[in-house]
Amino acid sequence: MEEIKLSEYVLELKGITKIFPGVKALNNVQFQLKPGEVHALMGENGAGKSTFIKVITGVHKAEEGEMYLFGKKVDFKGPRDAQQAGIAAVYQHPTSYPDLTVTENIFMNHEIKKRGIIQWKQMNEEAQGYLDELDADFKSTAEMGALSVAQQQMVEIAKAVSTRARIIILDEPTAALTANESQKLYKIVDKLKESGVSIIFISHRFEDMYRLASRVTVFRDSQYIGTYDVNGITNADLIKAMVGREINDLFPKPEVKPGEEMLRVENFSRVGYYKNVNFHVRAGEIVGLTGLVGAGRTEVVESVCGITRQSEGKVFLEGKEVAIKNPTDAMKNGIILLPEDRQKTGLILSWGLGRNVTLPIVKKLSNNGFTNDKKERELSRKFLEDVDTKAVTIFDPASSLSGGNQQKVVVAKALAQDNMKVIIMDEPTKGVDVGAKAEIYAIMGELAQKGFAIIMISSEMPEILGMSDRIYVMCNGRVTGELSREEATQETILEFAMEKGGKKKREEAAK
Amino acid sequence: MEKKSLLKKITGSREASLVIVLIVLCIAVTIKSPNFMSAQNILEILKNNAVIMIMALGMLCVLLIGGIDISITSTLAFAGMTIGMMYKYDMIESTLLGFAIATAMGAVCGLLIGVIIAYGKVMPIIATMGFMYIYRGFAYLVAQDQWAGADALGSFKDFTLSNSLSFGLINNTITVAIVCYIVFFIVLKWTKFGRCIYAVGSNAEAAEISGINVAAIKTAVYTIMGTLAGLCGALATSVYASAQPNMLTSKEMDVIAACVIGGVSMNGGRGSVLGALLGALVLSVISKALPLVGINAIAQNTIKGVIIVAVIVLNVLTQRMMDKANLESREM
Amino acid sequence: MAGKSGRTISATPDKSLKKALLSWEGMLLLLFIAINILCKCISPVYTLTNVLREMPKYLTEIFLLFPMAYILLMGEIDISVGSTVCLAATMACLSSNAGVPFIGVLAVGLLTGTVCGMINGFLATRFRELPTMIITLGTQIVFRGIAEIALGDGGSVSLTNADGFRMIAGKVGPVPYMFFIVILCAVLFTVIAEKRVFGRSLYAIGSNSRTAFYSGVKVNQMLFISYTVLGLLAGVSALFLTSATYGANTTTGKGFEMDAIAMAVFGGISTAGGKGKLVGGIISAFTITCLRVGLGQINMNPQVILIILGALLICAVLLPNISQSISDKKKKASRA
Repeated sequence: MEEIKLSEYVLELKGITKIFPGVKALNNVQFQLKPGEVHALMGENGAGKSTFIKVITGVHKAEEGEMYLFGKKVDFKGPRDAQQAGIAAVYQHPTSYPDLTVTENIFMNHEIKKRGIIQWKQMNEEAQGYLDELDADFKSTAEMGALSVAQQQMVEIAKAVSTRARIIILDEPTAALTANESQKLYKIVDKLKESGVSIIFISHRFEDMYRLASRVTVFRDSQYIGTYDVNGITNADLIKAMVGREINDLFPKPEVKPGEEMLRVENFSRVGYYKNVNFHVRAGEIVGLTGLVGAGRTEVVESVCGITRQSEGKVFLEGKEVAIKNPTDAMKNGIILLPEDRQKTGLILSWGLGRNVTLPIVKKLSNNGFTNDKKERELSRKFLEDVDTKAVTIFDPASSLSGGNQQKVVVAKALAQDNMKVIIMDEPTKGVDVGAKAEIYAIMGELAQKGFAIIMISSEMPEILGMSDRIYVMCNGRVTGELSREEATQETILEFAMEKGGKKKREEAAK
Repeated sequence: MEKKSLLKKITGSREASLVIVLIVLCIAVTIKSPNFMSAQNILEILKNNAVIMIMALGMLCVLLIGGIDISITSTLAFAGMTIGMMYKYDMIESTLLGFAIATAMGAVCGLLIGVIIAYGKVMPIIATMGFMYIYRGFAYLVAQDQWAGADALGSFKDFTLSNSLSFGLINNTITVAIVCYIVFFIVLKWTKFGRCIYAVGSNAEAAEISGINVAAIKTAVYTIMGTLAGLCGALATSVYASAQPNMLTSKEMDVIAACVIGGVSMNGGRGSVLGALLGALVLSVISKALPLVGINAIAQNTIKGVIIVAVIVLNVLTQRMMDKANLESREM
Repeated sequence: MAGKSGRTISATPDKSLKKALLSWEGMLLLLFIAINILCKCISPVYTLTNVLREMPKYLTEIFLLFPMAYILLMGEIDISVGSTVCLAATMACLSSNAGVPFIGVLAVGLLTGTVCGMINGFLATRFRELPTMIITLGTQIVFRGIAEIALGDGGSVSLTNADGFRMIAGKVGPVPYMFFIVILCAVLFTVIAEKRVFGRSLYAIGSNSRTAFYSGVKVNQMLFISYTVLGLLAGVSALFLTSATYGANTTTGKGFEMDAIAMAVFGGISTAGGKGKLVGGIISAFTITCLRVGLGQINMNPQVILIILGALLICAVLLPNISQSISDKKKKASRA
């Protein structure tokens, strides 16, 4: 008689190896998930976390290794098998149907039918039930595309719950959420845990891990490094496991005496986006611009850089007013932007690194309008090497690089423009691993030392506090606070970001 | 969430605004020409535009998955010409058989296109452009420089003249159209297959991950389009009482235009059977109405084109106005 | 700023003859040679002189390939070109019959085409939310519709005095003037696309128009210019066409846009934008033309020729896809 071995784990993977053309994405990794636990999965970008999740959910099939679900060996032939086995995933970029309603999104592929006819009324009601449990503020008949990212994520979670998933995987769940929304998410995770669901989540944020998880597994360079108790581990230990080396000075902020005023923005307003925004940056300064997602920071700098147009307001460069009507004007005046979404607006993924770097300056490098390939190659090689891009040739397609390296290409592109005075970096380390982050901060510091004026938009408190000389906080389209490096704390920034500080200021001004 | 006022709901719904446009048009024309709204006239309009209306259903599905098909009139001609020749050379006599053959041919034509697009990963515009040439060529080959006239078609052409299908109530052609519309309405709204079509059009990647067989759905949609085109090949032959290899050349744009006016998005995922119907009706009313209000028939195409451009531009402008109003209502 | 790790990146381009031959354009060149050999074998009258004599019929379409390629490279499309040709030809004929001096007739033709192009350009740039497929679908109907109105009930017009047009249809030896102009345009458009800043920007817009915009590329300006130039060249094409047909009717130019797009796609230019080279389009245009001439000489049914072309087009796009998926499967299997 065969003994049925009951495992103590709800999910167990052993010896998983996954190979793509030319690269080993996973190398003999293991993983164990206990029933009812919340388990964090951490690691640098490119460490293999996303691939691993895709193996669990049946999207990829591992070349080697075994997977056990509730003690029984499983072999998924596709995502459907994983779903039917009770595994659901909520990805960072909602994979949903924007033109269809919330109900349809939740029930896609497992609609409620009677004799082949879809029962809309019943589905709408059931979907509403799931939404109510998650404390949602929208209806199940709402159109998916009209919802915010946080709301869409809630629908994805509702979808997972509706499939009676026993294991739910969350991929960077708080990446696009405000602090408020993150709190809501934490509560939802608590609820799910109470109902007996086991959860795996990937996150770069240590706060998420400490708040939610009981154990954390670290991957590095496609390999399994270890699983640790969240209570017993420190940040430094975790970083060491993730990066393989100690990062002592994460924020190498050099002491720079600020020079002349480089950029000043006065009374900037754009209907529906921001109002009465004033700020300035001096040479050698790093000014942090922070706030919750949706505060209007990106919208402001995009107007300053000519991508969009403000309804009113003036821009002064080195004391003189300048008119910026399009990106070319901004670049001519030495105002360079590193955009928020490097894949959609910062790079051309199908192009080689070299051509990406020289895109804004093709004309400058040209001979009477004829492109000068040789000059472009030399110049792009120089700047790509300067920022230490991990690539073999300048012809490597940008799509083949990791997030951190792609960001470095964007930086190289900015540096290559050569006449810059003001550099505006929008979320420069979003989706970038710890190692590359440190390198980008080092570059920022060097640029400040050279006398450039730097504006850094960021939602990550540590880098705002670590790198800025001064901090502006925005909320709901207005600047609600200005803090110096010394007086800034996480609490005061959050207050300003959530309007409490702003209201106080306005009340005081009214007195 | 704000409660939408009834007015906002109506102006927000493309279908609703089309109904209003249609009503306004009909009233305007009837004022000038009281005969317009007579039952006879309405039925005549429906009969003459049945082919475009039916094919608009197929195009609706194709557009819903984010594709396009410009080969439909070539398939139509190929199917129609084939049965025309079969009637001419007395290879078949029964009307039913003629319809069956034409529809089956259309299905095969559509299937081939679907397989090449879904599994061969060829872009729809290119694939259907290629087949547009191929199927039209086949139509000419079958014709061998001849054509099938009224006498050659025998009793087949009587199909359009009789009311047999609806037990004497309405013209057969219109009955066929009504049946098609009912079927598609049910399938698209109440069956899983129909909802999968919307899903694939809205986000094909997500559909794939959900476990939906995207390639199969795409193939099915193009097959459906081909089937309808084949059916319409037989129908057109009957309506025009002749089969010629150059039947309905360039009319594929009319079918696409009907869908566009009807609010079907070319990006996929948006559109309805009602919209396609209204779009086709608006177009057919306009063409019939123009001569009645004194506009020369020769200007028909220009007016049609101007209306299409006006509709899509208006669409954009109203969307921009709504966005602007949204922004202005935001409290800063 | 020194790189911290001292890592170097290579900047030497990898140029090899083998790579060039195996590229799409290389294969097309081989195909061109093969087709010419084939035609020579099957048609006894397939000589250079004969081919050049029959070229004018096709040259009018080859013209449109170049500006259409620019539009396709940017990821857009224009299906109204045939109608523009019709309208320009109609206006030219009507003005010629009305007594306008030949220079004026030329101006009318070119101007009509340019205005049509500008209308497309205006709509495409002012209403970026609209797919250009739909915009040009509308203008396709309008432009031909206007021609229909201008042509009146007869639906056609014949030149009463074809002297001026006969001039355009002249030749230098066996080579028609048109051929030189086509070659000139071919060279011009290719050089601009490959070697000029304008060309680099075209490819940028087609690959990622948002990044291009953020990087300072004047996207709207380039769209407008490209559509206008396409309209202008449609006008040129109309004039040359009229010099062969001595008239215009409501079906003039029908299908020109499809042929231009087909030649471009066959030449490796993707309708998605950012991919393909003009050289490919040129080689494919002449390949297809030679095939048509050759097959026409052996009196093959013109419809059959169309079928062959349609099949060729599909194979041209299908075969690379199939070979790609076969090689992917092989890689997977070899690792198992």
